[in-house]
Amino acid sequence: MIIPVRCFSCGKVIGSAYEEYKKRTEAGEKPEKVLNSLGIKRYCCRRIIVSHVDLIDEVAPYG
Amino acid sequence: MKIKIMELKDDSMRFLIEDSTPSFVNMLRRTLLNDVPKMAIEDVEFHLGPIRHEGNDYESISPLFDEIIAHRLGMLPIPTDLDLFTFMDKCKCGGVGCPSCTIKYMINKTGPCTIYSRDLEVVKGWLPGDEKLMEDKFKIKDENIPIVKLTDRQALMIYATAQLGTGKKHAKWQAVSGVGYKYYPEIKINTEKCDGCGRCVKSCPKNILAFKGKKVEIKDIEKCSLCSSCEEICPSGAIKVKGDDSKFIFRFETDGSMTARSAMGAALKTLGEKCREFEEKIKEI
Repeated sequence: MIIPVRCFSCGKVIGSAYEEYKKRTEAGEKPEKVLNSLGIKRYCCRRIIVSHVDLIDEVAPYG
Repeated sequence: MKIKIMELKDDSMRFLIEDSTPSFVNMLRRTLLNDVPKMAIEDVEFHLGPIRHEGNDYESISPLFDEIIAHRLGMLPIPTDLDLFTFMDKCKCGGVGCPSCTIKYMINKTGPCTIYSRDLEVVKGWLPGDEKLMEDKFKIKDENIPIVKLTDRQALMIYATAQLGTGKKHAKWQAVSGVGYKYYPEIKINTEKCDGCGRCVKSCPKNILAFKGKKVEIKDIEKCSLCSSCEEICPSGAIKVKGDDSKFIFRFETDGSMTARSAMGAALKTLGEKCREFEEKIKEI
């Protein structure tokens, strides 16, 4: 729906990294490199960003 | 006990403890997780019904349920100064909520827009002292956390109250993440038995083994994760991996609500208080 504020497992704040991650990967950068440069080291935090599907724009009109 | 700081950043810390025990470092880990007080949003009031703004009509509606928005607000890292705030139930106001135990925030936005953590404003005049200074001090430092998205004719008007708590009650009051320690690695290579086949060098997932001439050498022992894959693969049994249970590499990071140094300070303070309380209880017997 919308990117979680924190990592489910460890509690690191990851919500703020998503928009930059999306912008940079869409511009062709490798996800691995983007995540490293954003300081998201653990795989628990990485999977939240990598596997996220942003559906909020599709739901928003029916709010 | 000897302590050596290996890395100290604003929001993370890594250090070496020597001459200690697993139970002591684990006590430190648990205190950091459970007993470091920090501010987090606990109460959220939503404005209901129509909102009129600059001649346009908006509805107090958003794509997410109010409960979800409240939960997301709770997760935000609220800047915490432990000298300025006390627990609500121990406050002189008697738990009603005053500027020395709570921070009041507000959001007032109309769609279409995305509401970010930076849109939370400290309610004017709530905290004593210079308004601008307080606003800067308690504005959420991590500005780009999306909270909710609004479309046309949707609006959000919220009052949120942050209070002090500890991780014991809810994870939103957990000031640190990734707290952990490992035994200091020891790799022993028996040069007599080693035939230089190089399987250990290839099998190491952290690439800390290398050849120096015909001998296997350890490059960076601190990177070793004690997985023992070199020990398992070695056909001649020349390599042994062990962790030193009196020497630890300890690390943690904060969520951004306080510095790593002040989180550690707060943890040690509560640990001290608990030990003192225990001592007094024992004396009474």
